[in-house]
Amino acid sequence: MDIRRYDMIVIGAGPAGLSAAIEAAKHGVKPIVFDENARPGGQLFKQIHKFFGSKEHKAKIRGFKIGEELLAEAEKFGVEVVLNATVVGLYPDKEVTVKIGDEIQHFKGDSILVATGASENMVNFKGWTLPGVIGAGAAQTMMNLHHILPGKKVLMLGSGNVGLVVSFQLMQAGCEVVALCDAAPRIGGYGVHAAKVARCGVPFYLSHTIIEAEGDEYVTGVTIGEVGPDWKIIPGTKKHFDVDTICLAVGLSPMSQLLDQAGCRMKDTRGGFVPECDAEGQTSVPGIYAAGDVSGIEEASSAMIEGRISGITIAEYLGFAENEEKESRINELEVQLDTLRQGMFAPANRGKKIEKTEEGIAISENLLVKGFVSDEEIGRFPGVTKQRKIHPVMECTQNIPCNPCQDACKRGCISIGSNITSLPVVDKEHECIGCGLCVASCSGQAIFLVEEDVEPGYGEVTMPYEFMPLPVVGEKGIACGRDGRAVCDCEVTKVRTSPAFDHTNLLTIKVPNDMLMKARFYRAKKEAAYD
Amino acid sequence: MIDIRQKLEEIGAFEPHADDGLLVCRCEEVTKGEIRKAVHEGIFTIEEMRRYLRNGMGLCQGQTCGRLVKSIMAAELKETPDYVEPASARAPMRPIEMEILGKDQGGAYE
Amino acid sequence: MGRIENHPILGASPEGKMVTFYYNGEPMEGMEGEPIMAALKVNGVMVHRYTAKTHEPRGVFCAIGRCTDCVMVVDGKPNIRTCITPLKAGMKVETQYGVSAKEA
Repeated sequence: MDIRRYDMIVIGAGPAGLSAAIEAAKHGVKPIVFDENARPGGQLFKQIHKFFGSKEHKAKIRGFKIGEELLAEAEKFGVEVVLNATVVGLYPDKEVTVKIGDEIQHFKGDSILVATGASENMVNFKGWTLPGVIGAGAAQTMMNLHHILPGKKVLMLGSGNVGLVVSFQLMQAGCEVVALCDAAPRIGGYGVHAAKVARCGVPFYLSHTIIEAEGDEYVTGVTIGEVGPDWKIIPGTKKHFDVDTICLAVGLSPMSQLLDQAGCRMKDTRGGFVPECDAEGQTSVPGIYAAGDVSGIEEASSAMIEGRISGITIAEYLGFAENEEKESRINELEVQLDTLRQGMFAPANRGKKIEKTEEGIAISENLLVKGFVSDEEIGRFPGVTKQRKIHPVMECTQNIPCNPCQDACKRGCISIGSNITSLPVVDKEHECIGCGLCVASCSGQAIFLVEEDVEPGYGEVTMPYEFMPLPVVGEKGIACGRDGRAVCDCEVTKVRTSPAFDHTNLLTIKVPNDMLMKARFYRAKKEAAYD
Repeated sequence: MIDIRQKLEEIGAFEPHADDGLLVCRCEEVTKGEIRKAVHEGIFTIEEMRRYLRNGMGLCQGQTCGRLVKSIMAAELKETPDYVEPASARAPMRPIEMEILGKDQGGAYE
Repeated sequence: MGRIENHPILGASPEGKMVTFYYNGEPMEGMEGEPIMAALKVNGVMVHRYTAKTHEPRGVFCAIGRCTDCVMVVDGKPNIRTCITPLKAGMKVETQYGVSAKEA
C-alpha cells in the first residue's frame, strides 16, 4: 500500500472546492479534488434560477451554467477531480483516507482544503418517515438532475430561500404547490422569490407547522395548524390538504465532522458546528483550510469567493506565490465578498427585524407574511412610478446586493448606483423603448413593462414568464394580481423569446387601464377560475 | 464537569409528553420519548446516548438525526443546544463495508 | 408518467436507452444509467423497504445517498442505496424487510 503525496488535497468538488483548486492551479499548484458524488459541482447543478449580485458575482447567470463554467475552468487548468471518491478520514498530520471503488486509498497533502458543504436539517412530526416526505434538495435532485417529478401535489415546509426557490422550480417542472408553510412569523427568504410564488396563487401560511402527514404506505394528505407564541397549536386552526409530497426546507447545517476529526478547534454556533478559522480559511491546524458552507452557511456566490481566497492563500503557503501577489488578490476578493454580505439579508443582520429599507421606506409587512406586496404598499417604492408611455415598473422592495437591471437598460432608465444594495430607481428623464431586456435580466423576476392607452381604455403589461406551455398571441386568458387571484380577463398580445433573455420569455397582455398596476401574472382560461 | 445528580434534581422527574412516540433516529427507530427518558437516567452527551440507545449508529451514522437529538436533549436539560457535547468525530465518515476496511494494509511511504 | 419530457429552463430531457429490470419479480421499464429510485418512482413505486423494529414503510428521503432510507435488496445484496445506484438491464430489485429480502 502506498501513500500518494499531493501539494493540495481538496475535499468536495462544489463551488468552494473547485474555485480553490482552480485559483491554486493558476499558480502552478497541482491539486487533487475528491468528491463522493458521481457528478461534480455540489449543489450548483440543481440551481436553475438566475443568481443575484453583480457582474463579477455572475449575476443573472443560472446556477447550472455557472457550474459548467467552473468545470471548464478546472479542466483548463488541469485540476484533477476524482468522483465517487468518499473521504472517510482526515488526520491531523494531513493524511486522508479515501474509499474509491471497493478499496481504501491513502493520500498525504502538504495542504488540505475541506469544502464539504452542508446537509439539510430535519424537523419531525407525526408521519415524517412516510414515503412522500422528502428534503427540498431531494426535490431539486429529482427534477433537475434526473428529470422526474417528485410528486403531483406538494406542500412546502420552510420559507427561506431554499423553500421559496424550490417551490417555484416545482411549478416549473409541472407540479402543483398547494401551500407553503413555516413556523416562523415572517418569510425568511428574499421578498422577490416569495412574490414569484405568491403570484402563481400559492397560499403562504406563516406561523404554521405540520401537525401530521397522513397515509398508510405513503403520503396522501397533510394537516397543518397555527402555532402560538408558546409553540403550541392554537385550537381551531387546523387546515388539511390533499398532497402526495411534503418537502422539508428547514435550513442547512455544515458537514464539518472531518475537520473535527483532524483536531481543528471547533465552535458550536446557532448556524452549526463550524471550525474556528481566519479570514483566509486557515483552521487551527496549520495547513488545513475550510471554505464554503462548511465554514458557515451562505450561498454559492460567497462559497466561490471564499474558495478563491483559500486557493491563493494555499498557493502562497506552499511557496507558489509571493506574499504581495497574495495580499493584492485577497484584497480584490474580499471587496467582492463584502459586497455580497450587505443589505437586508446580510449575515450580520440575521435574526434582526428590519423595518425600513436603507432609503427609509417601510418594508412591506404583507410581503413578509403573505408573500406579496399589497396594492396599497406597492406605490411606496422608487422603482414603481405611474407614467402613460411605456416604462419599467420595478417591484424590488428590499435591499439586496443585485444590479443586473441597471446594466441591462442601454437607455439609462434604471439606476442603482455604486451601492448595489440600493433599490432600483426609474429615471423618468430617459426614454424607455420597451425592449424588455430589464424584464429578462431581473433574477427576481420583479420587473414589468407597463404602457397606458395602447388602445382607448386599454393598456399593456409585459411580464417575465418561465413556464410551459408558452401562451400564444391572440390567446385569451385571465390576468392575476400579486396575490395570484384573478383580477380581469386579458388577451395575449406579444410573446417574445430571445437567446439574450436566457429562457425568460416576455409575455405581454392587454388589460383595462385601471388594471395596469394590478395585473402581474397570466393563466390560460381553462385552468384559472375567478374566486 | 457537570454534576449529574445535581442536574437531575434541577430538571425534575420525567414527564410523559403526547409526542413521545415520534421517531427521531430513522435508521435505528429510536423515539423522542426514549431519548428524553435516557436524559433522566443521566445520559447528557451525544456520545453516551449513541451507545445507550443506538441512535446515530445505524446506516446513516447520525447524518439525519444528529441535530434533532441534540436539541431534544438540550430541551430536556433546560439548556441551549450548545450545552450538549457533540459526538466525537471518528473515521469512517460514511458507512463502509467491513470487507473494504479489512483489505486496507495501511499507508506507508514508498 | 412522472417523467419530465420538456422543461421551461432545462429544455428537452436527455433520451436514454430503455431497459427491463425486475421489481419483486415483476418486469418494469427504466432508463439505463438513471438511479434505480427514478425508474421505480415513474412506475409508481413509493415504498422501498419496511423497517426492522416497527415494520414501517420507507422510501426516498434525501435522494443523494446520505439518509439511507431508500435502500433495497439489489441483485441479492441488501442495503443498496437506490437513489445513487445506476440502473442496469436485468437488475433484480426487491423490497427490503429489515435487512433482507424475505418477510421477517
